[in-house]
Amino acid sequence: MKLEIIGLAVGLALGFACPWTVPANLSLYMAAGLLAALDSALGGARARLKGQFKLGIFLSGAIGNAAIAVFLTWLGEKMGIPLYLAAVVVFGTRLFQNFAEIRRELLTAGPKRDRI
Amino acid sequence: MEKRKRGELAVVAAFVLLGFLLALQLKSVRLHTAVDATSASRLETLQNLYNDLVNERDGLASQLATAQSELEEYRKAAADGEGSEALKQEVEYLSLVAGLTDVEGPGVMVILRDSTAENTTGDEADYLIHDSDLLSVVNELRDAGAQALSLNGERILATSEIRCAGSVVLINGQRVTAPFILYAIGDPTTLYNALTMRGGVVDVLSQWKIQVDVTMSEKLLIEGYKGTVATDYLSPATQADEGGEAG
Repeated sequence: MKLEIIGLAVGLALGFACPWTVPANLSLYMAAGLLAALDSALGGARARLKGQFKLGIFLSGAIGNAAIAVFLTWLGEKMGIPLYLAAVVVFGTRLFQNFAEIRRELLTAGPKRDRI
Repeated sequence: MEKRKRGELAVVAAFVLLGFLLALQLKSVRLHTAVDATSASRLETLQNLYNDLVNERDGLASQLATAQSELEEYRKAAADGEGSEALKQEVEYLSLVAGLTDVEGPGVMVILRDSTAENTTGDEADYLIHDSDLLSVVNELRDAGAQALSLNGERILATSEIRCAGSVVLINGQRVTAPFILYAIGDPTTLYNALTMRGGVVDVLSQWKIQVDVTMSEKLLIEGYKGTVATDYLSPATQADEGGEAG
């Protein structure tokens, strides 16, 4: 779990250091992609804590979810319906679920720690 | 063991990516809100400028009214003394021609309203009255011998502009909006026929379902121009025989 937090910190530092910014019209896509990344990262962490991690599932989920979230945002913009809300709801719910499982795993895993 | 390392790496990579995107997005959102704030303060500045200008305009208008009443007094004084009857007549004639005095006489009243037609071509602008429509009506009226014209109460002078400014029309620097009411003093029958003849202005405008009502009237009152006419670039030519050179 430490490595993940260090990774997050490194990413944040990189992002703030890098000179790019997102243009306003792409902000929504970025936000949708960001939610997908958040979901993937937490999901991956949970799977690793539980010892159920499979690289193929993780990678396909991360890329596929991000692609679908961006596509939904684009489609919603074309159709005039804020479809990206679907991504917000789904990823938001899963975020809470993942967090709950990670929490449980961490709090009850004292004896299991060697497995991780 | 090897597999687990790869998994570890992938998850950490996901976290790095997450942090990177998060930082970018935070930075951008902050930047955009800053931009919004600047445009809001710019709006405020513009609003203040606008208010200042409105106040200035009102001040100038009252100044003008004072100056005009003074001028009226001078005219009266000039007419009373010194027996300058000819001069007074000349002034009266010239202000009548220039459009500076209220005039009345027979003529036509033209009311133009924006089109009532269903918008089928998609372009809203096709169904609104434009400066060009008004100009063609005014031109037609002048051709038919109109001697005094006004648009929504604004006297049309030799120097008057009629042009679109967004959804309003500017005339003598004033904004007027639809419905446009044109008064024209002249021979009512000639004016009426000039506008309503087949293939004439009214005919063309009606194709766009722009409503044009032309009414003959025995007596119309057209107010004089109340503003000032700039002449700062003008000076009387000194040698009359060289007048045509520049043309």
